[in-house]
Amino acid sequence: MPAYFYKTTPAAPLALFRLLFGLMLFGSIVRFWGNGWIAELYEKPHYFFPFYGFEFVKPLGQYTCVLFAICGLSALLVAIGLFYRVAIITLFLSFTYIELIDKSTYLNHYYFVSMVCLLLMFLPAHAYFSVDAYRRRTLLADQIPAWCIDSLKLFVAILYVFAGLAKLNSDWILHAQPLRIWLPAHNDLPIIGFLFNYPWVPYVFSVFGCIYDLSIPFLLWNYATRPFAYVAVVVFHGLTALLFPIGMFPYIMIVTGLIFFSPAFHQRIINQIGNWFSASSQFLHPRRTYAYSPAVKTALLGTLTIFFTVQLLFPLRYLLYPGELFWTEQGYRFSWRVMLMEKAGYAQFTIKDQLGHQTIVNNSHFLTPLQEKMMSTQPDMLLQYAHLLRDYYAQHGFQHPEVYVDSYVALNGRLGKPLIDPNTNLANEEDSFKPKPWITPFHDTIYGL
Amino acid sequence: MKQVRWKQIGSACILFGMLWACSGGGTDTPMPTNPTNQADSDRKAMLTNIADNIIVPAYANFKTKMDAMTTKSDAFAAKPDKASLADFRQAWVDAYTEWQKVELFDVGPAEQYTLRNFFNIYPANTTGIEEYIAAGSGSFDVPLSYPKQGFPALDYLINGLGSTDDAIVARYTTATDAAKRIAYLKRLTTQMNSVFSTVYTQWTTGGYRDTFINCTALNAGCSTGKLVNGYVLNYERYIRSGKIGIPSGAMTNGTVSPDKVEAYYKKDLALTLAKTAHQASVDFFNGKSVKTGQEGPGLKSYLNSLGAKDSQTGKSLVDIVNAQFDLVNQKLSVLKANLSDEVKTNNTAVTQVYTEMQKAVRMLKVDMTSAMSITITYTDNDGD
Repeated sequence: MPAYFYKTTPAAPLALFRLLFGLMLFGSIVRFWGNGWIAELYEKPHYFFPFYGFEFVKPLGQYTCVLFAICGLSALLVAIGLFYRVAIITLFLSFTYIELIDKSTYLNHYYFVSMVCLLLMFLPAHAYFSVDAYRRRTLLADQIPAWCIDSLKLFVAILYVFAGLAKLNSDWILHAQPLRIWLPAHNDLPIIGFLFNYPWVPYVFSVFGCIYDLSIPFLLWNYATRPFAYVAVVVFHGLTALLFPIGMFPYIMIVTGLIFFSPAFHQRIINQIGNWFSASSQFLHPRRTYAYSPAVKTALLGTLTIFFTVQLLFPLRYLLYPGELFWTEQGYRFSWRVMLMEKAGYAQFTIKDQLGHQTIVNNSHFLTPLQEKMMSTQPDMLLQYAHLLRDYYAQHGFQHPEVYVDSYVALNGRLGKPLIDPNTNLANEEDSFKPKPWITPFHDTIYGL
Repeated sequence: MKQVRWKQIGSACILFGMLWACSGGGTDTPMPTNPTNQADSDRKAMLTNIADNIIVPAYANFKTKMDAMTTKSDAFAAKPDKASLADFRQAWVDAYTEWQKVELFDVGPAEQYTLRNFFNIYPANTTGIEEYIAAGSGSFDVPLSYPKQGFPALDYLINGLGSTDDAIVARYTTATDAAKRIAYLKRLTTQMNSVFSTVYTQWTTGGYRDTFINCTALNAGCSTGKLVNGYVLNYERYIRSGKIGIPSGAMTNGTVSPDKVEAYYKKDLALTLAKTAHQASVDFFNGKSVKTGQEGPGLKSYLNSLGAKDSQTGKSLVDIVNAQFDLVNQKLSVLKANLSDEVKTNNTAVTQVYTEMQKAVRMLKVDMTSAMSITITYTDNDGD
């Protein structure tokens, strides 16, 4: 095993990350609850869009809030480091379960949170400055293997770099889309609003956004550039928080960026917090190293290797599909493609059968406005919805109902076009990882990655 | 060793970034450095024009016709005869036609008090109306009561009670329930005036006009988003579906429903109402002042200031939408006044109107809102 895997590093950054990440997630859950989104997104809808392969994940109806309570509680336990292993596994499972219930609510940062939880399951984030370590001094250690912290940094770096690579396309760079559409919507903001009326401003934002994503992990990793890089993180994510309705994501990234700071920096903060709780010097500076047994260590490193291999390959799966990624969205999710598209659509379904029955579907009978909006631009959701309609109308007097859709989708300022072949009976099509031949070709070219 | 390497990578990245930023600046140079038409992208100016030159004057015009109709209704109630019936009927036609020019403003107080529900939910529920008349009472505020009031209920009461005017007048003079029927007319106009003045005074003296023009953000809670949502909803559900799609059977498996046209009992008015409503939508899109007929800041100028166009042909979105509106007008122009007959005897022509309106709906609902960065938030659970 290379020498790197024997290197140790102070545990403070991981412990502080655990604390902040746990609190932040707890805050997110409380905010979600407080905004009434549990009922809005998980109790109110009659139908849901599970992910392909995860159809066994079912909504819990009125018990959804119990799931959220479990999730919030485990986030809090993770923060303080009490029953850490159980708490982080519960947090990962409950949070991921919630995210898998309905595709309509998919957000890259939820996926990010899920994956960080997955990583944290394997890391000794409770070895230092945790209630567990306080209660069980044999666990307490202020040095941990260096790869434990580096794996988190690597994961964050992968996110940024993929997000940056995804921006290297002609819509983003040459046409400043979709920022050219989104920024003028904020031209009434005080002080900076007037800028968004200038045609060159979206170009500047696009180019800087791209450079930011591609370079920020390296600038954060490097000691000399780190302070400036972190200022850039705060400004960049602060600006996105101001301009776009993306909830907690900017704050999560601002907090996550701290992981790149030096151990001494984290130690100062932990010492300060420790002082408030009158923690003993022995608790704050135990001078012990957290060590894995060789077998466990090998197993963990193997797991991490698989994790990172998947993380590096999964965003590239779109290369296996024909057609334009932004149009077909085959391989779009789970790939750190953030804020790349202004996509709006309209889908009107017609149900027919051999007996001459025919009806036009009113989508609001089946879906919430959010679900309808998401469904109308994403082919896999259009298909799921078509199947839902097929099954519904089969029980309501139609014999072997056929389902056709009149779809119309506008992408990044292009005039709308049909997304789905109107002559395909979607009742007979099955979802799979194979290309979907019933998606109409995109009659334009977006160059780049 | 390791640290040196990171430093090198870091510096390389900065250098690379700077080069890129500079080259980016280079390609930007030919771009215009001034906003081409900054005034037109000013949503406050747009909302001000829409409030002061479109919505409020349109409401004022409607109020004039409403008042006139109320006067004629009262005159008919005081002395029901063929002459006063004819006067009332004409005033009703005028007011109903004027209504088509305000139904599309589903924003602010009109949205809050669901103005449309009290004025134009059809087909009228004639059984329900007769029950209310017989009972001499009944709530006007519950959803079930919407088809028992407003213009469709009046349509039934002044056009649908008999095949001749003498027969209709007899229902208000010699019939045993004549007094109750007259009382119901009075209840209807009172209710309409009451709901409308609640909405209208909020605009004129209630301060809503200022709220409206100052809420310039583009999120769902502010004026532009609500206005556009209401406008597109009106076009989709109340013009395309209600006036054309449902009666013609275009949306219901070809099952023609001649009794579901607007102003069914008047027979010759439905097409005029449809044309008026459609033209009101076109004029609103173009920002045309109700007072002067001149175009001012509106959806058209705003979309133009954003440079909204079909990126493949370079044609402006505004021109594309207006061309589609023209097509709808063409298809409407070949129809005869009695839509109820037309859907039976000339169904293909009516269905063609639906088809062209459907294309306009997509442009308004997808292309326009996408270009403006507005989210369609309406959901609606009516019967279609």
